[in-house]
Amino acid sequence: MFVEAALEPASAGTTVIEGPNGAGKTTVLEAVAFLGTQRSFRTTDREAIVRAGATSAVIRAELARDGTPVLVEAELPTSGRVRSQVNRQPVRDRRDLSRAVPVTVFSPDDLAVVRGAPGNRRDLLDDTLRILDVRAGLALDQLDRVLRQRAALLRQAGGRLAPEVATTLDVWDERLATVGATVAEARTELVTALAPFVVTGYSSLAQEGVAAGSSLTSTPAGPGGPAGSGVVLTYRSSWTGDLASALASRRDEDVRRGVTTTGPHRDDLEVRLAGRDTRTQASQGEQRSLALALRLAVHRLVTERLGAPPLLLLDDVFSELDPGRSRALVAALPQGQALLTTAGPVPAGVAFAARVDVRTIGRRAAP
Amino acid sequence: MYTGPLRALIDELGRLPGIGPKSAQRIAFHVLKIPGEDAGRLAAAILAVKERTTLCSRCFNVAEAGELCDVCSDERRDPTVLCVVEDPRDIVAVERTQQFRGRYHVLQGALNPLEGVGPDQLRVRELLERVGAEGAKEVILCTNPNLEGEATAMYLARMLGPLEVTVTRIASGLPVGGDLEYADELTLGRALEGRRQVTA
Repeated sequence: MFVEAALEPASAGTTVIEGPNGAGKTTVLEAVAFLGTQRSFRTTDREAIVRAGATSAVIRAELARDGTPVLVEAELPTSGRVRSQVNRQPVRDRRDLSRAVPVTVFSPDDLAVVRGAPGNRRDLLDDTLRILDVRAGLALDQLDRVLRQRAALLRQAGGRLAPEVATTLDVWDERLATVGATVAEARTELVTALAPFVVTGYSSLAQEGVAAGSSLTSTPAGPGGPAGSGVVLTYRSSWTGDLASALASRRDEDVRRGVTTTGPHRDDLEVRLAGRDTRTQASQGEQRSLALALRLAVHRLVTERLGAPPLLLLDDVFSELDPGRSRALVAALPQGQALLTTAGPVPAGVAFAARVDVRTIGRRAAP
Repeated sequence: MYTGPLRALIDELGRLPGIGPKSAQRIAFHVLKIPGEDAGRLAAAILAVKERTTLCSRCFNVAEAGELCDVCSDERRDPTVLCVVEDPRDIVAVERTQQFRGRYHVLQGALNPLEGVGPDQLRVRELLERVGAEGAKEVILCTNPNLEGEATAMYLARMLGPLEVTVTRIASGLPVGGDLEYADELTLGRALEGRRQVTA
């Protein structure tokens, strides 16, 4: 892959990065996303991010924020700590970084948000909360820690609720009830805020999809929801009433099974389409459109709340969509800077500001 | 690379907290260079701290073997106020304020099931006994403001509830002399939560 590469995208609008498979298109997006998140959207394996044979990778971006230049740098060794700098000043907190380089990533893996396990949908909500809501971000960190402490305590209890176990459980349950309620509340508010964006985003994508003849409409309405035509988002708590009493009533079962059987870590974001559960009762095309609509909704909400659109990174989205949906997606994107990769041609009618062949932007290691 | 005593010294130093292989090597070579009597004093100090130091039988602070710690043996300290901390080092921190004239109780840790620490591993029973025996009127819960410290404080508050004693928790807030703009949002958020009315 690249020994080094440099890219100067259009300062506004979409820059298309073209090239055959394996030429390094995703690597370019991955590098940009890494600057803002210290994370790869493709893999958690550091060795797989850094070029084979090299001991570290360096990413550097010059941004203009309100006309002022900002220099953002990251150095990631194959092992050890990633070091990030903004204007040559080290940044330790990831939140500060996500503010310096806010990014939204669309990737083919997003399908898992609709189709996969509830954890994928919780992650979508939680990643957004971490950007938008400091208090919820703290609650999420604490929730994770409380759950791990409680799990350890339940394991040590060995299936029996001895009095001293009960008194210590009381303490962790009180913390869990507090932070859990904060998380559930924040997620519910977020879902309410996202819903209108998802509905409009989906309908613009789906209408184009119907026009292109790729949407299924014959799936029967599932039980448990009113049959309608639109998308309905519902945050499903794994408990009713207040979390403290739910934990109390499940305590015997939790102790017996050695796991916390209720709480925000068991919640789900239910996405219904015309009354159907889209996890199982939606066509591939509908699921793809929904995945994009969800991601797009997050992008629009973050844009609205932060006052400026995050940098958009669209990895290989056209391969998943017919030309009608592709046009609708690009048209639905808020004003701002976007990088988009494609292995095929850009679908007709999709507007872009610049196009770059990935094979021309870097120096590569000899094969 | 090195043999014999030098190797052994580097290995031992490398086991100390905060000392990596390179620091261990640097310290070992420094010890090699210093006069024998300096090295002897260092070795004697290490041995002495193991031989002559135990935990205070009353508050579990560090103390000279067989004796109460400096705070507990100081007659001028107020026995009616107890400050509960996780670690003897926390006593040093509180003492630096020169504002606390009561006695301490060192838990020797905080509740942390992940590390296998429950109430039985902490000096909780001893605290409850002391509150009754020493006639304490107030217990200040001075555990760390992190999840485990807060959970420990909450646990102690529950256990102390039935006793006739006022239980207080230290406040969280901004460092004095600092700038708001450099405060992290979590601390600042806590400080806002705990704001107080200003009376003119």
